Amino acid sequence: MNRRRFLALSAASLATPAFVRRAWAQGPIRIGMPAALSGAYAQYGIQARRAADLFAKDIKAKGILGRPVEFIFEDTAGDPATAVRKAQKLVEKDGVKFLTGVALSSEALAVSAKCPEWKVIFMSTINGAGTLTTKSFHRYFFRVNTSGPMGARAISLYLAESPMKRFFALGSDYAWGRDSAASFTQQITVAKKDVVGTDYPPVGTKDFASYIAKIRQSRAEGVYLALPGQDATIYMKQAHQFGLSREVKPIMEILELENMKAVGDAMVGAIGSSRYPFTVDTPKNKDFVRRFHELHGVYPDMFDGETYEGLEWLAQVIAKAGTDDVEKVIDAWEDSGYEGLEGPFFMRKCDHQAVQPGFAVECVKDPKYPHPIPKILATYAGDKVTPKCRTEDFS
Amino acid sequence: MANVLEQLLNALALAGLLFLVSAGLSLVFGILRVVNFAHGVFYMLGAYLGFTTVALTGWFWPALVVVPPLVGVLGALLESTTLRFIYGRQPIYQLLLTFGLALILEESIRVLYGPTAKGVDPPPLLQGAFDLGGLLYPRYRLFLVVLGCTVGIAVWLFLRRTRAGLVIRAVAQNHEMADCLGADVARVRTLVFGAACALAGLGGVAAAPMTTAYLGMGIGVIVDAFVVVVVGGLGSIAGSMAGSLIVGAAQTWGAFYLPETAMVIMYAVMGVILVFRPWGLLGEEE
Repeated sequence: MNRRRFLALSAASLATPAFVRRAWAQGPIRIGMPAALSGAYAQYGIQARRAADLFAKDIKAKGILGRPVEFIFEDTAGDPATAVRKAQKLVEKDGVKFLTGVALSSEALAVSAKCPEWKVIFMSTINGAGTLTTKSFHRYFFRVNTSGPMGARAISLYLAESPMKRFFALGSDYAWGRDSAASFTQQITVAKKDVVGTDYPPVGTKDFASYIAKIRQSRAEGVYLALPGQDATIYMKQAHQFGLSREVKPIMEILELENMKAVGDAMVGAIGSSRYPFTVDTPKNKDFVRRFHELHGVYPDMFDGETYEGLEWLAQVIAKAGTDDVEKVIDAWEDSGYEGLEGPFFMRKCDHQAVQPGFAVECVKDPKYPHPIPKILATYAGDKVTPKCRTEDFS
Repeated sequence: MANVLEQLLNALALAGLLFLVSAGLSLVFGILRVVNFAHGVFYMLGAYLGFTTVALTGWFWPALVVVPPLVGVLGALLESTTLRFIYGRQPIYQLLLTFGLALILEESIRVLYGPTAKGVDPPPLLQGAFDLGGLLYPRYRLFLVVLGCTVGIAVWLFLRRTRAGLVIRAVAQNHEMADCLGADVARVRTLVFGAACALAGLGGVAAAPMTTAYLGMGIGVIVDAFVVVVVGGLGSIAGSMAGSLIVGAAQTWGAFYLPETAMVIMYAVMGVILVFRPWGLLGEEE
């Protein structure tokens, strides 16, 4: 794949005018993607790659600063140690100055920690863990995507207005799940509502029957779910079979297309936050969704959209800096704006968290689509859903 | 009371599923003396093939009948082309081989089916819930209880009451002696490996409506299955039944009554049993 792309680029360079060739003589701008392309979390890495494929196609004609763009993919299988090793290879052997497409927060924390030493930019487009822009923040890290706490904030704002009063929190037993359940509990308590029970099923739980029984007993009206991809799919299937989803509204921190495709109609009625719902009604997004569907034959999921936005923004910033020198790109990116697919983005200098709109969505059926889709219930402006600098504090 | 009944049924349904997976693992160890890391992947393959069958025919029942033999044939083929040649070697070779097979099969499934989990609906007859005296319980889970029991009894009767079962037990006990007495040991091994894979495939089909078919489901289940086999005794079908019940109960009741320690409970039970009976509850002391 890489070699073929390289050959195609070489062939193209022979057929271009001399002044363009001079710019290309500096060599391509390389973007390294140590992504989970196999294993249990492959769906996230594959989303990053799909977005990169579309972006590569869009940028092919003009390049960045007149230079071609080359993506180099490495498979991490979702393992932090492998991710660091592959990232190191990308930096030292391939000479990439930009790393992105890392799927899991655990991988991101490990890779990001190395970036100040390597002097390369880590651009998160998927990673939710709050600590990346708080405790673990450094100059070389940028988060283009909505973080986990920001997602929890968006759905909490929505629930504060709803008639539901009693909630159960179910978070996977690791950093993201526990953080999210705690963040939700804190914000829902501020809204004068109750969390009547909390549980932390282990990652990879395949039978949720015991938890379903407890949620029913708690007489909660809604259950807040911070479960990673497959766990959420299994939970939704089983809650439906037990008839629980009719009694207790499922509220998901991230409502993904992947879950909707796998669960199907049993998912309809679930609400949650979305980092990027492909149904956003902006001209730019409609155009993106159409072209994405043309290329891949599917509708873009959350990380397809967020990764595409990250790449487009990065390209604009490099163009603005007039160089791919890492320090100059960082300076150009700080306190700069970008018109994303779902609205305006702003990169804060203080913690490199992109301020952006937040969404509350509901899973609905629409005969135009082969699977249920996210319908936007409410949109919140960036300043409402982004925490204070280098904190997870929204007050 | 309804509460206790529900927890009991939850444990039984999970045990039914665990038994289908662990029975094959136990058989393969008992007769081939191989710890088969690829066993979980045959379970996953069963789930995916089940999805395909349902997608093609629109029916769930044919999948239960068609898929297990398919998975079994694939297993038998793999045994006779790879595993057969390294029985004499140290166990580490068998571990490496089966682990490699697991990776190859898993990634092949990912390439063929893509990363999205595949949902399978239960057949109409098993959708919805039964009313058990005020407790609404999903029909499909009751079906899993029945399926686990039926298959368990069938396999046990086969091994104990038929001539083929007798030969298999003879090979398990002493394959050199069985060979001298005219049993075709190589063939028995291939057939047993195939049958074990078929059982795993059946487990996969049965699991699909409950968990969907997804990448990584094999790795997830194999850990539990190992615990079942260690608790019940390697090579013993009755042991697998007992082990499945114990692990199913430990997981579901642990998650319900002592959620913070649910994972520990399963391993604690295993530890206690190993201290007093290192060969497992119903295994044979060597």
